[in-house]
Amino acid sequence: METRRVTNLALLVSIGLVLSIIESAFPPLLPIPGAKLGLANIATVIALYLFGPAMALEVTIIRTILGGLLRGSVVGLFLSFSGGLVSTLVMIALYLLFKRYLSVIGVSVAGAVTHNVIQLAAAYLLIHQAAIFFYLPYLMLIAVPTGLFVGFASRRVTVSLEGLSLAAR
Amino acid sequence: MKVRKVKAADIAVVVLVVAASVVTMVMIARARTGEKGSTAIIEVNGKESRRVELGQNQSRTRITLKGLHGTSTVEFYKGRVRMLKSTCRDKICIGMGWVDVPDESIVCLPNRVVIRVLGTGKNKVDAVTE
Repeated sequence: METRRVTNLALLVSIGLVLSIIESAFPPLLPIPGAKLGLANIATVIALYLFGPAMALEVTIIRTILGGLLRGSVVGLFLSFSGGLVSTLVMIALYLLFKRYLSVIGVSVAGAVTHNVIQLAAAYLLIHQAAIFFYLPYLMLIAVPTGLFVGFASRRVTVSLEGLSLAAR
Repeated sequence: MKVRKVKAADIAVVVLVVAASVVTMVMIARARTGEKGSTAIIEVNGKESRRVELGQNQSRTRITLKGLHGTSTVEFYKGRVRMLKSTCRDKICIGMGWVDVPDESIVCLPNRVVIRVLGTGKNKVDAVTE
């Protein structure tokens, strides 16, 4: 069981890493710093829905640290780690508390919004320029379509994988 | 399968986020118009010649400077600045009127006099990268 868990974790982390590499190949969507599609979040959402909160948290932590090291940017690591960690915690909380009323889609949108807001707050801690909060409403707004996209993509994957024994904990 | 349907709360989350972003947008727009400059810098021929603190309880003060083609008189009153008199031809600088918002400026090209308003220093970012 332990081996299977480790394998699944490694698989999800690599999915996340590959997705963020794919994403970085695209030109930025909008001229707003931090406005990204957040494809890597698919890995976290899948982990949450197929394997539960602990797996989601592990995937996010390992993925953001590894991703930051691969990109070689300490600032980027700090931003994506803080954004990823808090947004995963929020998604886990929503998943556990409102499972009946909220589907993957809503959880994913909430995660995307949290990620953007926390990342902006983390950026503020680094540069101490209150002017960056000018981007806050735009980053929140852009998180809706990106969160929806990630949500629908994750749902497609979870629906397909749910029946498989791969998902067994 | 449970995950397949979009539930009511999903829509609620989206609506909530959109509403929150609109509210912050309005708040930021309001905060920005209320922002007043804290300092005025007067430059003559590209060099800083005076730096004056701006404040609401500032009394009417005038500064006369020597420009390239004569004198320019700058007036300060209650946190605002204007070009009062200038020996230049077009008087565009005088036509600019009072100025008090950060990053606003009055430029008198013929006389090479520039008055720039600075903010509290919090919004001097040109760009932020990840």
